[in-house]
Amino acid sequence: MTNKIYISQGMLVAMIVNIIYVKAIGVTQGTLARAVGQDMWIATLLGILQGAVMIYATYLVVRAMPERDFIGIGEALLGRWFGILIALIFIVFFIAAFGPVMITFVYHLKDYFLPEAPLWMFIVAALLVGSLGCFYGLEVMGRIALVGMAFIFMLNLLITIGSTHEFDIRNLLPVFESGVKRTAAASLHYDADCALAIMLAALVLPIVKDVGKKGSRAAVMGIVVSGISVIMWAILESAVLSADVTSQYTVSCMKLARNAHIGDFLQRYEMIMIALYSLSALFQVMFCIYGTAEGAARLFGLKNNKWTIIPSSIVLGFFGYWVIEDHFRAIDYLEHYWPFIAVPIAFGMPLLMLGLSIMVGKKPDVSAAASK
Amino acid sequence: MLPPLPAGIARIIAVIIAVSLPGYTNSGGEIGVMTGVAADTRQIAEENAKIAAEVQEMLKQPLKQMLKDNRADIDHIMGSSVDFQKRDFMLCGSADRPGICCYVDGLVDTVIVESILKALIVFGGELHHEPDKLPSAEDIRARLMINASVKPCLKLGEGITAVMSGDTLVLIEGFDEGILVSTKGWKDRGVEEPASENNVRGPRDGFSESIRTNTAHVRRRIRDPQLRIDGMVIGTRSKTDINIAYIADLVKIGLVDEVKQRLGRIKIDAILESGYVEEMIEDAPFSPFNTIQSTERPDKVASALLEGRVAIFIDNTPVVLVVPSFFWQFIQAPDDYYHRYWVGTFFRFVRYCAFMISLVLPSIYVMLVSFHHEMIPTSLALTIASGREVVPFPVLLEALLMEFAFELMREAGLRMPKPIGQAVSIVGSLIIGQAAVQAGLVSPFMVIVVAITGISSFAIPSYSSSLALRIFRFPLLIASGLFGLLGFATVFFALLLHALSIRSFGESYLAPASPFSRTAQRDMVLRLPMWMMDYRPEFAQDSVRSGEHLMPEPDKGNGNGKGNGKDGSQ
Repeated sequence: MTNKIYISQGMLVAMIVNIIYVKAIGVTQGTLARAVGQDMWIATLLGILQGAVMIYATYLVVRAMPERDFIGIGEALLGRWFGILIALIFIVFFIAAFGPVMITFVYHLKDYFLPEAPLWMFIVAALLVGSLGCFYGLEVMGRIALVGMAFIFMLNLLITIGSTHEFDIRNLLPVFESGVKRTAAASLHYDADCALAIMLAALVLPIVKDVGKKGSRAAVMGIVVSGISVIMWAILESAVLSADVTSQYTVSCMKLARNAHIGDFLQRYEMIMIALYSLSALFQVMFCIYGTAEGAARLFGLKNNKWTIIPSSIVLGFFGYWVIEDHFRAIDYLEHYWPFIAVPIAFGMPLLMLGLSIMVGKKPDVSAAASK
Repeated sequence: MLPPLPAGIARIIAVIIAVSLPGYTNSGGEIGVMTGVAADTRQIAEENAKIAAEVQEMLKQPLKQMLKDNRADIDHIMGSSVDFQKRDFMLCGSADRPGICCYVDGLVDTVIVESILKALIVFGGELHHEPDKLPSAEDIRARLMINASVKPCLKLGEGITAVMSGDTLVLIEGFDEGILVSTKGWKDRGVEEPASENNVRGPRDGFSESIRTNTAHVRRRIRDPQLRIDGMVIGTRSKTDINIAYIADLVKIGLVDEVKQRLGRIKIDAILESGYVEEMIEDAPFSPFNTIQSTERPDKVASALLEGRVAIFIDNTPVVLVVPSFFWQFIQAPDDYYHRYWVGTFFRFVRYCAFMISLVLPSIYVMLVSFHHEMIPTSLALTIASGREVVPFPVLLEALLMEFAFELMREAGLRMPKPIGQAVSIVGSLIIGQAAVQAGLVSPFMVIVVAITGISSFAIPSYSSSLALRIFRFPLLIASGLFGLLGFATVFFALLLHALSIRSFGESYLAPASPFSRTAQRDMVLRLPMWMMDYRPEFAQDSVRSGEHLMPEPDKGNGNGKGNGKDGSQ
């Protein structure tokens, strides 16, 4: 990486919001409703707090060596082999993440708008845009994330306007009906969404401007802003649809979107909302490709990830297709496998690196830092 | 002598002759004539190349003392061009000192040439000068000539190039240097209102084909000595004058060097229009987006220079290039600043709407009708369905046909002589449109959609940018018609990614929206009052544009309303 690029803190916030938001409102709320009923918003809130703590831990790791991402830090701490291991973990993580990402993207579009379209079409379209964004690099991805964040605000505004007239706060009661322990356990599903943001931060933080001073604020802000944007949906879905209805749907947000209307003339405007939502969905795809391609490039010692974008996209495409081909497999993977892959990796890696930094206490050598 | 033919063309002609006239071929069917013609043309081409090389060599030579030698060289270089004039004269009327004035008829002002001849022939005698007392070209320039711009010339090439540019070269027996007098005086079309950038309020003058007139337009607006105009020449044959204008203490640091470096890289035979230069210096050569602004309006150029940008003037074209440029500028019009800010903001907002309509309206219509009709409000869906009942084409094909017909009419209207062009537009839009609807070939709703889209694209002030939008409309339309929302989202976001990735002379193309600049928002979607626009773009050296507290605050106490300052002292 000879050409050093920087992204602003606003872009980091936007990237975190985009990578969490889509799946969190799309499929996580349905899962949470099935797990804890109307306490889904509390589970989401707990997930936000945990996510904020873990992204701060990620920042602490990067702060020690602000020129390096996690792969570089791994190399600096225990040598080249450890860097390769971390790169491999990134590849595995982002391939595994592509399943839920495609579940969110494809099921929204296919089930509600294009039921007769073949699955491969969605995969190819997503990968094309994702690869293009990845090819343009992190700066462009950061910029499109800012546009995506503006779209998210518009989407939240539209859903709020279209839903408030049916808002019934009684649907949110009683609070903690499932018990604190069960609600806390359910927050694992939102943690899995935050895991994407943590892994994004692990790769992107070193190129954020002034990361040493303001990186923590931007990273935590990203989790909080995305949390606010998501928790609105959790509350609206509980209060407008009720937890029972929400739990019946894989893509619960679409039920809420369909339910929304403005006056008598605009009875259906979920397509506008989906158009706004697509950008964030495609950003998720884009970053999965970036994470896999970057991991692969570092694994094979390549100078940049341009050569690994297409192979990574192909691998992701096949895995994504396999996951979404069967709805039962998709839901099974989403609820029973993905959180147990995502959370240990995304929560474990910063803690491990932090521990290693303290134990090894090794300062990075200047030449290695310069080579990055 | 026959003009030389390229070898390939000669070969083709020979083959045609051989095939059509068998008598010309030999028994083997291989063509004797062909090889003969090809050999002739090759020989002619080689001779011409040799002559050209000789001429190039002569152009590098210094001028000679003997007039007849210089005359012979000039004859050899210029050949028998009828517009090239050589006017003989005797310096101070003395037969010992003959001379010639060389100029190109049509490029010079003959009155100035006459004044030169008068000075050389008459003034010397009147001032009692003997030719021998004027021993050098410098003496003649200083003591005889009355012209404003006169300079010595040492090389033949320099003199010929100047003559080709409209200057007059004076050569005198016994001098090994010539005198170049600026005599440019060709006919141009004068200052007219720009045809492609109309406005309601504001200056009416536009650039013309004369580079010096064009730079003068800008000088008249910015009387700042820091306004610099650097010159260069591009084109090995056209030798086109290029001027680079900037305000030295405002321009983005490094931008002028970057512009000069990119211009200096151009190696081409001729520059006939600014489009040639534009394509060779832009940042994204494969992109349909214009990353260089082109304008015929001096006020736009002056405004750009005051923002720290660089203008590139090219001779023989009324179009001036401005760099760096941003996408949003193409949607802004000079009127925005000349009308009051409420009006400016409102019309700017209308233009942004027009931009979105011209880009996506047909795609959204096709997508909704083809795939997602449940999203259309019921009453509207019924209206559309009743109109489409008799149409035999799928909606995508209908839209493509209508868009193509619209582009056809636009192009035909543009290329035809003006009165006929208007007639074609009227016939096309009214009669054919009406007939197509009545015949059931297209639905009335589609006609409305395409018409609104077309009108919207004309509302975008930059014609070249509206053309780019027209191009983008088609992939978006096809993707939406084939894949519905998925196709629309894919192509739209791919387009957005591309726009986000490109730069114009180091500046992000979508700035100040992305990357976001808070201060620049005063003049993007909104046009805030002049007294609030106190900053230049961030890349300018001096960012402060105006003083503080400029908002008019009339003194309400005495009601004279003169004051600008808070104390109302003015």
